[in-house]
Amino acid sequence: MSKATAAQQAEHLSRRRARMLPFLAVIYLTQQATFFSGQASAGVREVDHVKISAWLVLSLVMLLALATNGFWFRSKEVRDLIDDELTRAHRSDAMRVGFLAAMLGAIGLYVVTMFEVVTAREAIHVILSLGLAAAFVRFGMLERRAHRDA
Amino acid sequence: MPDTLANRLKEKRSELGLTQAELAEMVGVTRKTVNTVENGVFIPSALLAIKLASALNEPVEGLFWLERQASPTGE
Repeated sequence: MSKATAAQQAEHLSRRRARMLPFLAVIYLTQQATFFSGQASAGVREVDHVKISAWLVLSLVMLLALATNGFWFRSKEVRDLIDDELTRAHRSDAMRVGFLAAMLGAIGLYVVTMFEVVTAREAIHVILSLGLAAAFVRFGMLERRAHRDA
Repeated sequence: MPDTLANRLKEKRSELGLTQAELAEMVGVTRKTVNTVENGVFIPSALLAIKLASALNEPVEGLFWLERQASPTGE
């Protein structure tokens, strides 16, 4: 693969990622709404275990993508280009925002438990989802802004 | 107000007839990184600043400099 092709690929993938990240965050959060509405109406059923497992796998993939830059099946040359200095700075900022959102979510949940019973599973669900979604939205916003100006 | 890092990256790049994409390729980053550095949105690391200066055949201090903000007391 020529270097020019790697640069073009990196540019294309980087733009696609910037477009996709906020949508992924929305889809992820929508999935949480389904989980909580299902929980409210009935107890834990067999199908819920499947849904929870799917959510857990998706969360893990999203977390790994955020932490490692993703694009695992691309060449190292392309991956290094996509994960350049600006992108690393954006990822760091996104992780900071995600951490802040998770901590604020935890504080909010603590207050809620004074008035209402919240199971450990629900609490973990909320904290993890908030942190990941906030980080994805922030990362997507920063990347989109950088591409828009370019 | 904090000091800002000004640069003449765009000017020097244009002098050499390079596009943002070409300069980006020379220093191993994406075009958006070069663009955000040019616009002063992103402050590059010393490593990237040296790479950019080397690619443009300029000393780093000729490409980047501190722009001190005047304090309200005039100091």
